[in-house]
Amino acid sequence: MQVYLPIAEMSVDALLLLGIGFGVGWLSGLFGVGGGFLMTPLLILTGIPSPIAVASGACQTLGASVSGLMSHWRRGNVDARMGLTLLAGGFIGSALGVQLFALLRRLGQVDLAVAFFYIVVLGSVGALMVRESLGAILNRKRDGQVRLHEHFWMHGLPLKVRYRKSRLYISIIPPMLVGFGIGILSAVMGVGGGFMLVPAMIYLLGMPTAVVIGTSLFQVVFVSANVTLLQSIQTGSVDVVLVVLLLAGGVSGAQFGAAMGAKLRGEETRFLLGLLVLAVAGLLLWGLVQTPSQPFVTEPAP
Amino acid sequence: MTEAARRDRVFLVVVDNSEEHHVALQYACLRVRKSGGRVALLRVIEPPGQTEWAGVGALMAEEQRDEAEKLLSGLAVQVQDLTGGYPILLIREGDPRDELLALLAEESPISILVLAAGADSGGPGPLISALTGRFASRVRVPITIVPAGITAAELERVT
Repeated sequence: MQVYLPIAEMSVDALLLLGIGFGVGWLSGLFGVGGGFLMTPLLILTGIPSPIAVASGACQTLGASVSGLMSHWRRGNVDARMGLTLLAGGFIGSALGVQLFALLRRLGQVDLAVAFFYIVVLGSVGALMVRESLGAILNRKRDGQVRLHEHFWMHGLPLKVRYRKSRLYISIIPPMLVGFGIGILSAVMGVGGGFMLVPAMIYLLGMPTAVVIGTSLFQVVFVSANVTLLQSIQTGSVDVVLVVLLLAGGVSGAQFGAAMGAKLRGEETRFLLGLLVLAVAGLLLWGLVQTPSQPFVTEPAP
Repeated sequence: MTEAARRDRVFLVVVDNSEEHHVALQYACLRVRKSGGRVALLRVIEPPGQTEWAGVGALMAEEQRDEAEKLLSGLAVQVQDLTGGYPILLIREGDPRDELLALLAEESPISILVLAAGADSGGPGPLISALTGRFASRVRVPITIVPAGITAAELERVT
């Protein structure tokens, strides 16, 4: 069943897109991850142009995260003040990221840059996941991780604000920097960035884990909304038909995944997720280094 | 009732995030003070679920457990002040309703479950609805339901 994607200007099998949406949604429900970092590369691997895949990926992340944010908000697990601080950085970062993206597009290097970003990020995230779960499998009796409650240079910064829900009294600069970095990643890669944001909030900012997931979703929802808006204004590369198909598959997949994930808490599954992430990075790397079947492509000048 | 039986009975109070559990706890403490027995406090913590990183999940579980322990030991002091005896503290991980039913089904010393009804119009609260409705047949002990709006004087009178 072919559908024509109006922005990507190509025909794709709708069932394939629904299937990708379902598969990624299933994985994200199963592992409690956003899934954006699998969605965009899979789209690129199916032949969707990188700019479309990234911009639509951000929009898909937005759709998939809203319901999570709402349920955390209702349970009071969102530190709104911290979320707004992160968001301030996130808006600046994502706005700059979109400019960078537009610049790369003008230079004609966007495919390479996106693939490169993904190989680096997915490669390191996947390797860390595999390492972490291997360590846990081999050494199950390891004590829980200890948080460092130390004062370091970060606590000497000015502009301190009290974050009541997070029980923190810290400068707004570190959270803004964290938000800024994630904003750039979000714009260039089309991901929510939860897989880096959550550890940064816990280990760098020292937030209590109870509010971390909800607050990170707060940042993810609004930053991906901003990225979607800016991308569609600046580069015109958000394909709504694509996003709707992915979301339709993703919503149902996430339900199945979450139901299974509740029964499943193994290091083995996380090990598999790590391997999957590494495999996607490997495929992207192969795409960069293999000899193209057609060395030259002619296309109309943009 | 003989003295021995009175000492044996245990009032179970579920400590959740609602305002109502204070009323239930007050009721249980007054009953114990006036006619013997012990108080047990149950706190059910939500399992962290799946997270991106195993370390984050482990830290979450640990922090939740710490928080539950702090909360229960704080309440235990209150109970001790009111009743003179230290309560039984129970921490479980999982769904509150399932864990409560599992606890009651086990060979536990619990004799009476004390719950407080919600004050707002949204029904008496999920635990009461479940335990008096669909799951009523699985409850092995008497349940006492304390109305949320009850005053301190009324509590004194009815216990």
